[in-house]
Amino acid sequence: MNPAPAMTLAQTSLMAIFQAVAVVIFIFIVVPLTTFAERKVLGYLQDRLGATRVAGHRIGLTGALNRGMWKLGKVPFLSALRGLPMFIGDIIKLLVKEDIIPDKADRAIFIIAPALSMIASVVVFAAISFYPGALFTFPKAFPVLGGLPFTGFITDMNVGLLFILGIASVGVYGIVLGAWASNSKYPLLGGLRSAAQIVSYEVPLTLSLLAPVILTGTLNFNEMTRKLATEMPLVAMPLLVVSFLLYLTCGFAETNRMPFDMPEAENELVAGFHTEYSGMKFGFFYLAEYINMIVVSALATSFFLGGPFLLPFGLHKFVMHVPYLGAPNAIWFVLKIIFLLFTFIWVRGTIPRYRYDQIMSVAWKYLIPFTLIVVVVASVIHYAA
Amino acid sequence: MFKNEEMEINMGPQHPSTHGVLRLKLRLDGEIVKHCRPVIGYLHRGVEKICENKTFFQGQVWTDRMDYTSAVANNLGWAEAIEKLFGITVPRRAQYIRTMLNEFNRLASHLIWLATHGLDIGAMTVFLYTFREREAILDIFEAFCGSRLTTTAFRIGGLREDLPPGFEKLVRDFLAKFPDCVNEYETLLTENRIWKKRTIGVGLLGAEDAIAMGITGPVLRAAGVAYDIRKAFPYAAYAEMDFEVPTRPEGDTYARYLVRLAEMRQSARIIQQCIDGLPEGPVMAKLPKILKSEVNEVYHPTECPKGELGYYLVGEKGSTNPYRFHVRAPGFINLQALPMMVEGGLVADVIATIGTLDVVLGEIDR
Repeated sequence: MNPAPAMTLAQTSLMAIFQAVAVVIFIFIVVPLTTFAERKVLGYLQDRLGATRVAGHRIGLTGALNRGMWKLGKVPFLSALRGLPMFIGDIIKLLVKEDIIPDKADRAIFIIAPALSMIASVVVFAAISFYPGALFTFPKAFPVLGGLPFTGFITDMNVGLLFILGIASVGVYGIVLGAWASNSKYPLLGGLRSAAQIVSYEVPLTLSLLAPVILTGTLNFNEMTRKLATEMPLVAMPLLVVSFLLYLTCGFAETNRMPFDMPEAENELVAGFHTEYSGMKFGFFYLAEYINMIVVSALATSFFLGGPFLLPFGLHKFVMHVPYLGAPNAIWFVLKIIFLLFTFIWVRGTIPRYRYDQIMSVAWKYLIPFTLIVVVVASVIHYAA
Repeated sequence: MFKNEEMEINMGPQHPSTHGVLRLKLRLDGEIVKHCRPVIGYLHRGVEKICENKTFFQGQVWTDRMDYTSAVANNLGWAEAIEKLFGITVPRRAQYIRTMLNEFNRLASHLIWLATHGLDIGAMTVFLYTFREREAILDIFEAFCGSRLTTTAFRIGGLREDLPPGFEKLVRDFLAKFPDCVNEYETLLTENRIWKKRTIGVGLLGAEDAIAMGITGPVLRAAGVAYDIRKAFPYAAYAEMDFEVPTRPEGDTYARYLVRLAEMRQSARIIQQCIDGLPEGPVMAKLPKILKSEVNEVYHPTECPKGELGYYLVGEKGSTNPYRFHVRAPGFINLQALPMMVEGGLVADVIATIGTLDVVLGEIDR
């Protein structure tokens, strides 16, 4: 929260690179864990075990424990983790699989499209703040960066939210271009659907974030998080809850998750826009979808669930002065993200898919008018308070 | 610059939700289906011709492989058609056991239908719930005849063997938990807003059209016609059973869903009556070693899970195999209605409609 000490250009660039690497590492840890969690959570929802085969039966820790405990006649307590190494297999499979480019495809665009999707979803993290302050300080002996704080955010720009929304909307180009460049019918249908759907849902998504913006009067990410968690009047709470639900609904649509997974509706369009993709190009689309899930969860967490503060919706001011619980903590942030990711999987296991025209009518007939009402009410509260 | 072009698209034969190898030639205007023609025959094995070259005893094996999700019902039709051809009377105990297994098969088939239909519309959890119960049913088949999918359950004149020890317990255990399981599917789907949005008013088929096209089974009953061969022309032990024929007037996908769920409850009721009132006695009629037919013909309809399954057999003097054999496969005839039901709708409705017709290509292509 303290103003950052003045840094030279070299220091700034180096710091940014370190932080970017940290974020990428975070993503590449969380995404495989999410796919594992998806398999396991769906498994439990559906009365089965989920992934268990790649378990390190012979050499892994779980394998050794399992054997020992079965011998004692007990169910191994780590058995839930069996199947965890599967994500390594997933990655190897995607990397070594033959990368086919169809003859009739537009080669250049076909190659660029997955990268575009992926980049758009990763760059968003430049403006997301995990923790408003220094996570640790580099020791004095460290070359160039000695004595500088390693902050929980890469940049603290004053239009952070605008930047996030702008970059996130580039992601749809990856899908549409990939679909068109494939020069195939099912991807084309998928691409058309996703273009219409994502563009439609961007409107209510942005509008639902407008309520917090009006109430806080800033676009700065850290400021918004802090004000929303600590300074909101209690009157605004119901409004924020409604706007959270609206945001989450649109977030499901933006990430092409159930029940809005039109662009890749497996049972209708085979695999939608990425039907013709294989290998790591498909892997990029796949990664982008999961990273988008994390982005949507991160935004929902920061604005509506209090981010690194324990309690959301302005309730945090009551525990502000409690030791430990009152201080912002990156752990709360990560835990809330995990809960929202679980919600994504939970919903997928529970409800069926909307039809394309119904999705559009949900957006235009219900979500947009609703969000507009929310915006109006937010303005009233802002001026009344 | 702006030309309005219709896109022709092949749905299938390799497609995640065409239930096997059904191929649909669709002409699309955007997302709207303008024209739909099913193309079949990818799974043709010539079952009817093969059966003409097999003895009456051997043919039953081939009926397993027509509609592989309802093998027992196919076996029952075959056995009864031949018993009708030769005028054989089956002992009452065998009739009861046949009825019971046939109803189990109806449950198994409807469970597969619900699983795949739900999965097509995106409700993936119900898929695994229904397979859990189907597993129990297949265990019951396995206990009875050693085989789970292609059962060849019956013999001409009755059953090969009586029920194995412990069979009654399996059945009673299943019956004790099954109604709750159906309730569980209902909590997931029946009042689900998205499920209703996807199915109500989709794939409409009125009673007149359905009758004109020869549609039978749950598809016909969901159009409001209470026609069930188990009631209209009772066979096996159905004349002694007390059950209802559920119907719905709407004729849409949701109605067909409700009808099939109600049928599952009725099937459980019939099984209960069979196991409670199981008569004692032999399970096999006295038969000659070799069946040699006279010049004779027979058509025997049965209510298989998909609709009216009819076997038409012609006998030849002194022959051990049928002279002519034809199957009136319900899936084949129900599929005729598909273009009428989907044209003018959306692509997503095609998927829902294929699912609701409950087609099995093994039976359609034979």
